[in-house]
Amino acid sequence: MQVFIAQIINGLSLGSIYVLLATGFNLLLLVALIIHFSYPVVVVFSMYIVWVVLNATGNNLLLGILAGVLSSIVLNVVSAPIFQKVMKKRGEVDVNSTMVVSMGMGFIITDILSHSFNHGFPIAYPENLTGGAPLFRIGLISVQVGQVWSLAIGAVAVSAFFVLLYKTRAGRAFRAISEDPAGAKLVGIPIVRTGIQSYALSGIMGGMSAILIAMLLHSASPGLGDMLAHKVLAVSIVAGLGNLVGGLVVGLALGVIEALIQGYAAGSWSNAIAFVVMLIVILWKPKGLFGIKV
Amino acid sequence: MAQNETKTASPSGVPLLKVENLSVSYGHINALKGVSIEVFPGEIVVLIGANGAGKTTLLSSILGITPSKAGTITFDGQRIEKKPVDKNVRKGVCLVPEGRGVFASMSVMDNLLLGAHHNLQNKDKNLERVFGWFPILNQRKNQVAKTLSGGERQMLSIARGLMSAPKLILVDEPSIGLAPIVVNDIFTILQMLNKEGYTILLSEQNAYKALKAAHRGYVLETGTVTLTGTAQQLLSDPGVKAAYLGA
Ligand SMILES: Nc1ncnc2c1ncn2[C@@H]1O[C@H](COP(=O)(O)OP(=O)(O)O)[C@@H](O)[C@H]1O
Ligand SMILES: [Mg+2]
Repeated sequence: MQVFIAQIINGLSLGSIYVLLATGFNLLLLVALIIHFSYPVVVVFSMYIVWVVLNATGNNLLLGILAGVLSSIVLNVVSAPIFQKVMKKRGEVDVNSTMVVSMGMGFIITDILSHSFNHGFPIAYPENLTGGAPLFRIGLISVQVGQVWSLAIGAVAVSAFFVLLYKTRAGRAFRAISEDPAGAKLVGIPIVRTGIQSYALSGIMGGMSAILIAMLLHSASPGLGDMLAHKVLAVSIVAGLGNLVGGLVVGLALGVIEALIQGYAAGSWSNAIAFVVMLIVILWKPKGLFGIKV
Repeated sequence: MAQNETKTASPSGVPLLKVENLSVSYGHINALKGVSIEVFPGEIVVLIGANGAGKTTLLSSILGITPSKAGTITFDGQRIEKKPVDKNVRKGVCLVPEGRGVFASMSVMDNLLLGAHHNLQNKDKNLERVFGWFPILNQRKNQVAKTLSGGERQMLSIARGLMSAPKLILVDEPSIGLAPIVVNDIFTILQMLNKEGYTILLSEQNAYKALKAAHRGYVLETGTVTLTGTAQQLLSDPGVKAAYLGA
């Protein structure tokens, strides 16, 4: 029973990161009208920025966190004109061409990480970020401070996001664009400016994810971005592309499934098993569990 | 229904909207070929034209959605033909689009607040006015728009436009797809709004009812204005009768 509870906590905290990443990804899809497949790779880049700043400042947590969030916002917003340009060049909004831009960004970032930081070796985060000794431990299973934090912050962040989406002027504009971009333009919503706001907001969520992943995994490596990108894309497709509530449910579910596999079965197979489960779901419901919403 | 004695506005003074020699093409299709129209403050002006005549193109160029190739659009003393839609909405133009264009999965209230995107500081006052004119929308304010009937959606679309505090309301074929009795309601509402001081440029294939409600009209044929006059003149014009009034 204790193992079960521990793994549920672990799974939910991992899942809350998938949720944040899937939400940022879906926001860009719905409002900026791009498929930013490599959004999680950008997040991992920010993880490296956090690490560099922590190293440079003698583990100043505040500066590290600020640097992570800011770098994520900047990277997102800076990439916006590139995406917009490609979309304009192809005439009407064309999500396929944006996917190529995103993949290109992903490859470049991954290569930079493997060449320019720590000789390409995995990086490790200091204890003042990750929380040191576990809260409790049963055999190989443990619950860490970072896990509890990431679950708590993830829950607050996702709730705040939904409040913003449903209770604010910007959120209303986001929803209008996601339902009907031409109609949103017609009522006077500035499409480009609102699109940039969605880049910034997904940047904020990405930056928070970067911190939470560091707290949870205690390390990062150049390949982490691609691994997360695959999972986030899978979560989003299994949930139904653009479906925010779907992404919430499926993201948490994936985290829990992975943690349970690690707790009760061969941990090293957790990715394979998780993807088999998703394969079955997508064969059963090709448009995702909750339906595509674009 | 439309009563002639209510038509007091006459084309005098400075036009609120002046379109001069406007040309618009979609690729090699010339949808508008040098169209000129004027709308004066306080008027209801109707664009009469068959399917494909260019009515939607003209209204969407005025708002700034469809770029023009040549010609000028002057609204409230300023040239707007190169301005983006959101600027024009802020200046006081709004479009009630063909097919209503409400956000079906969003609530009635959200739809109204989207209309007030640039005018949220006055939203309470405007909501009160709009709900006074459209009490049904007040009753349905928390329902999603797709649950509304066609007529209610048309009202929502008009009400959403009003939330932006417009000086000029462009209304594109409001009668399309509505039962005749509902069409009468919509024209009554447009006349009521006109009496409240709103200036309206309307497009219609339903020429009889539209001309009954309007002060003046333009007949648009394949991208060209072929006839213009007061609503009375157009109603009694033999060509208009034959082509648009089924006489
Ligand atoms: N998006 C478009 N692309 C190409 N041609 C268009 C487009 N919209 C309208 N047209 C053409 O422009 C002309 C005018 O259309 P429109 O303005 O929609 O007329 P109306 O509203 O009077 O029915 C028609 O020949 C129509 O086929
Ligand atoms: Mg039309």
